[in-house]
Amino acid sequence: MTVADDIPLAKPARAGKATQPFPIRRVVPGVLTTLIVVFCVAPFLLVLAISFGRKVDGAAWVWDLTFENYQRFFVGVLWPDEITLLYLQQLYYSFYFAVIASLLAVLTALPFTLLLTRLKRSTQAMWLVFILSSLAMSEVFIVMGWDILLSNNSGLPKLFRETGLTAWLKDVGWFQTLRDWGLANPRNVKFKTSDFATVLTMSYLVWPYAVILLYPALSRLDPSLAEAARTMGAGRWTVTRTVTLPSIRLPLLGTTLLLFVFLLGTYVAVTVFAAPEKHTTAVAIYSNVRGANLNAPFGATQAIMLLIAASTCLSLGHLLNRKAEGAR
Amino acid sequence: MAHMNRRTVLKSGVAGLAASTLATPLIAKSRSVRIGSYGGYFENSFKEFVYPEFTKATGITVESVTQPNSSDWLVTMQQALVAGGMPTDISLYARDTMIKASRIGDIIAPLDLTKIKGASNLDSYFVFEGKGGPQGVGAMSWFSAMVYNPNEVKTPASWADFWDTNLFEASLGLGRVYNAGLLDFTAATFFDGEETLMSDEGVMAVIEKIAELKPNVALWWTAESQMEQSMKNGDVVAGQYYLDVANLMALDGHSIKPTFPKEGNLQDYGSWCLTAGSDKADEAAEFMNFSSDPAVQALMSRKIGTAPLVDKSKTDLTDDEFNFVSGAPAIKPAYEAYLDNETFIKESWDKMLAGA
Repeated sequence: MTVADDIPLAKPARAGKATQPFPIRRVVPGVLTTLIVVFCVAPFLLVLAISFGRKVDGAAWVWDLTFENYQRFFVGVLWPDEITLLYLQQLYYSFYFAVIASLLAVLTALPFTLLLTRLKRSTQAMWLVFILSSLAMSEVFIVMGWDILLSNNSGLPKLFRETGLTAWLKDVGWFQTLRDWGLANPRNVKFKTSDFATVLTMSYLVWPYAVILLYPALSRLDPSLAEAARTMGAGRWTVTRTVTLPSIRLPLLGTTLLLFVFLLGTYVAVTVFAAPEKHTTAVAIYSNVRGANLNAPFGATQAIMLLIAASTCLSLGHLLNRKAEGAR
Repeated sequence: MAHMNRRTVLKSGVAGLAASTLATPLIAKSRSVRIGSYGGYFENSFKEFVYPEFTKATGITVESVTQPNSSDWLVTMQQALVAGGMPTDISLYARDTMIKASRIGDIIAPLDLTKIKGASNLDSYFVFEGKGGPQGVGAMSWFSAMVYNPNEVKTPASWADFWDTNLFEASLGLGRVYNAGLLDFTAATFFDGEETLMSDEGVMAVIEKIAELKPNVALWWTAESQMEQSMKNGDVVAGQYYLDVANLMALDGHSIKPTFPKEGNLQDYGSWCLTAGSDKADEAAEFMNFSSDPAVQALMSRKIGTAPLVDKSKTDLTDDEFNFVSGAPAIKPAYEAYLDNETFIKESWDKMLAGA
């Protein structure tokens, strides 16, 4: 349970002599520590404590000290009679979507940002302001937009139908393949629900972050390095592979990891665009904490497991990076 | 006003100030009550048509409070009450949420039915007896009905039609949450209804039947607006949706039509519940009394599209008006199963959806 005594609280600054100046150097760290404890550590400990609670069927949950929720996460509620990997599968899809979408965002943002740094200063500034301002749009808003763009009567499927692409697909027989893949109904193509729509929206969501995170590193790239390599006869691709990419390896990896962690918690895009088979831990957490169920302890358990999995990934990324650094 | 100078202006200003200060205790004495209802069109209709009538009849003013829905509101209320707040005096809860609130305790208060004479107009099923007495008076009911796009498909005669892949491949919009209705529809169509859902084996049999339906579902919706958009956009051509909203959409010219298949549609209802610790018990009782009146039930049916909780013969609703909001047969949700066996049903349902 929560052991409040262990929380390192700032010691109250001892009242010094009246003549001494305000001990700002000692107070500021104390205040910062208090803020971190109140706003980060305490909520986290609360979630941890709730994850050991017990759900009462037909009512809410009560405080307890049970590991049943953690057991349920791995094998399901009916264990040992029956085993389900449902919750591990949800965790897998959290990673699946976050990895693909963050890689896609970084891979597409990289050439864009590289080109951006070669523009005039004023043009660069305009682009950056535009990209920064697009961050003001919330996830809900973006998902709504893509929802309409992918809708049958107003979006991409309509374009397919009006341009005769749907009819052509039916003629050549590829339409049946799309139906088998779940990307069409008997009438027209459909992109909801699909991995395509989910990944697309998720990458779109973090794309501005990718540009903004990559921009400082790319704008500091010394063009003379690449030019020198070119004068020595290296092709464009060789230059990119052996000069440009290695020199931005660290920001590239950092950006991908940051976006990946950010995307692990995506909720709206997954609820709307992913098929129920591929719903993620974030969606499951919400459906337990809110909604009809009121099973906050199990929701908290899933949140803790997601956190542990994400931290493991980050540590692995860090380790790999250290190894690569050492190998050089 | 001819002799108006700076001094008289100042004087009248002071007088005005004094008058407004004097008036304050009068405002405080006037009676008021805070009532929660589901936000959007629903709440607006209450504010526009029902609350003014109530104020006219009793002199009690109503402050409307927006609830997102029933179950999320229970979480909000629970947290607010623990924190010492009270967002509303009367909340609107669906039956299962109300039972949960009653079991959790200290969220809804017992009611004095002697002050709510009108409740006798309602079927006794709609007056909920919880811990320590009556805790909820039926407010209105709504149907979760079969809907279809008349331009794309013929009127389905039975829920069983939804299983026909030739008719509905990747074309249906159904509720994503386990207690949204599909379990009840399926149990009523292929099994013995509510009774089947009372045992674990029954639940599994129904869920296995629903698994066969998955290739025909294009949308598993959680928010009402998802289904609304998908019907409008043509992403789905049939499914389940609220009867009254479907009728309203049809009136607006959208290609959607609700229908009562031979097994029926799901009827759920909402109850007014008094918040525990509220000092507005009398005002709340007067409101519940008012809303149980057949005339008010008819008013809500006409203006909000809810089904009345009193017998049609007690109201002055015409057949057309009644059929717009209600119908037969009505399937009652298996509340008891959903409450007492919820962890098992939820996990089995989620497993089926996830294919795990």
